Amino acid sequence: MQGKELGDYIIEVERIRKTFPDGVQALYDFSTRIRRSEVVVVIGPSGAGKSTFLRCLNGLEDFDSGTITIDGIPLDDNKENRFEIRKEVGMVFQLFNLFPHMTVLENVNLAQMLVRKKNHDEATKVTMSLLEKVGIPDKAQSYPSQLSGGQQQRVAIARALAMVPKVMLFDEATSALDPEMIGEVLDVMKTLAQEGMTMVVVTHEMGFAREVGDRVIFMDEGRTVEEGSVEQIFSNPQKERTRQFIGQIL
Amino acid sequence: MKKKKTKITPLDLIVSALILAAAVYLGYRIKVGLHYKWNWQAIPQYLYRYDQESGKWVANLIMQGLFTTLRLSIWGTVLATILGTIMGLCRISQSLFYRLLGRSYVELIRNMPPLVLIFIFYYFVSGQIMPVLGLNEFILAQSETTQRLCELLFAPPSFLSAFFSALVTLAIFEGAYIAEIVRAGIQSIDKGQWEAAHALGLSKWQQMRYIILPQAVQRILPPLAGQFISLIKDSSIVSVISIQELTFQGMELMATTYLTFEIWITITLLYLVMTFTCSLAVQRLEVRMARGRA
Ligand SMILES: Nc1ncnc2c1ncn2[C@@H]1O[C@H](COP(=O)(O)OP(=O)(O)OP(=O)(O)O)[C@@H](O)[C@H]1O
Ligand SMILES: [Mg+2]
Repeated sequence: MQGKELGDYIIEVERIRKTFPDGVQALYDFSTRIRRSEVVVVIGPSGAGKSTFLRCLNGLEDFDSGTITIDGIPLDDNKENRFEIRKEVGMVFQLFNLFPHMTVLENVNLAQMLVRKKNHDEATKVTMSLLEKVGIPDKAQSYPSQLSGGQQQRVAIARALAMVPKVMLFDEATSALDPEMIGEVLDVMKTLAQEGMTMVVVTHEMGFAREVGDRVIFMDEGRTVEEGSVEQIFSNPQKERTRQFIGQIL
Repeated sequence: MKKKKTKITPLDLIVSALILAAAVYLGYRIKVGLHYKWNWQAIPQYLYRYDQESGKWVANLIMQGLFTTLRLSIWGTVLATILGTIMGLCRISQSLFYRLLGRSYVELIRNMPPLVLIFIFYYFVSGQIMPVLGLNEFILAQSETTQRLCELLFAPPSFLSAFFSALVTLAIFEGAYIAEIVRAGIQSIDKGQWEAAHALGLSKWQQMRYIILPQAVQRILPPLAGQFISLIKDSSIVSVISIQELTFQGMELMATTYLTFEIWITITLLYLVMTFTCSLAVQRLEVRMARGRA
């Protein structure tokens, strides 16, 4: 995107390694730095380590070595730090993961009340304005099972935003959706990007990448193969492996 | 939903005829082969008897046994649920120690003949633990009303120690099965639910309390209710340690009256009434839960 002011580095990832107990090496000395308000699109073949990278960023997965720092807070063994980072990093999953036993309102209210210690009315006010923003204020009293996939994913985004995160992670947020619903979710994500949210987005949606992506990271076998501007990676890739992959998905 | 028409097929008729024939033959063998004289009139007095002194109808042996069975079952379920939940949580704990603890408990109990377990635990609990607790002395020192209440809820003061020993034994036995129900219920919840809650900043305890348990309980309740029915039936096993529940009373009565078939049919019917009532309750519960939300 042109004309957007990028700030200082909010995410710093230094040579992280992650080997799963079964011996699979998911991340191999992976490093990257992400600026405030930057929208980074992560692409790569299945098993490249994209999800593992995102999950390391919010502490869902532990890494074996290297360092991750988010907004100056190191993601180490310190419980306080880990908690702080979980609060500041929102995540949207491929399969929504809404809480099925709660209404939409309760889903979005929950963490505000439990973690941010707001009372019910304050939380509800925030929730309603977020539901407005994602376009489904009339569904507040519905249960997730009564919503379409696209609506569920928009609730999931609202739920993450309710924590007022500094960073949002999207792991193939539109892959499980019917084609006609992808647009409505991407629109919400684009709005967020334009508002200056720092976003790390794993996606196959090249249209989205071109429109709001500031940078593309192409990963394979747990490392960065190539990274650069959207234009550079999509139209003029330098590495053979990148060219191959781009050829497959475009 | 469409209502299914009940249609009687020829096969149904044949099966019914066979069952009827078997029943008639059985009755015939009892009458002719055993020369059994039925004496159903004798049974009601063992259910309730008229007490001359107080001028009231009071429960007699069989009904007393029934009440003891009910008390054992209800309290046993409460205790077993508590123990089972704790052990079930241990089984999925992050700590290897707790996992081992839960695992050992479940495997040990489930792989032991219940009768052996009863003997071991009963003699240990009643011989070693109860005297230390001093339960008997404690209850005998209480006021009349407390003792009455205790009798109503548990057992007469003189039987209290035996009753609690049996109760603990039953709870330890059933707890192993409940632990597995709890573990399975929690593990059946999608991993994504934990992850979403984690990503929102909820603590481990909050994830459990607000996200996982409410969903798991919906899946745990029906099998748990089924386990309650099992416990009613399994409670008969404590008759071997002279707890005067339904089966024990049946054996006692049979030894003195020789009304073998009448007594055991009565007792069977009483067990059936208890378990069948519970089954119906479970079914309604399941229907209501299914209707709740998908
Ligand atoms: N919990 C796990 N246990 C063992 N191996 C895992 C686990 N999660 C991921 N892996 C392995 O780690 C590697 C990287 O997985 P990851 O999910 O990060 O890939 P991805 O780039 O997100 O792929 P996809 O596009 O299929 O989602 C893969 O080889 C995968 O099989
Ligand atoms: Mg993935």
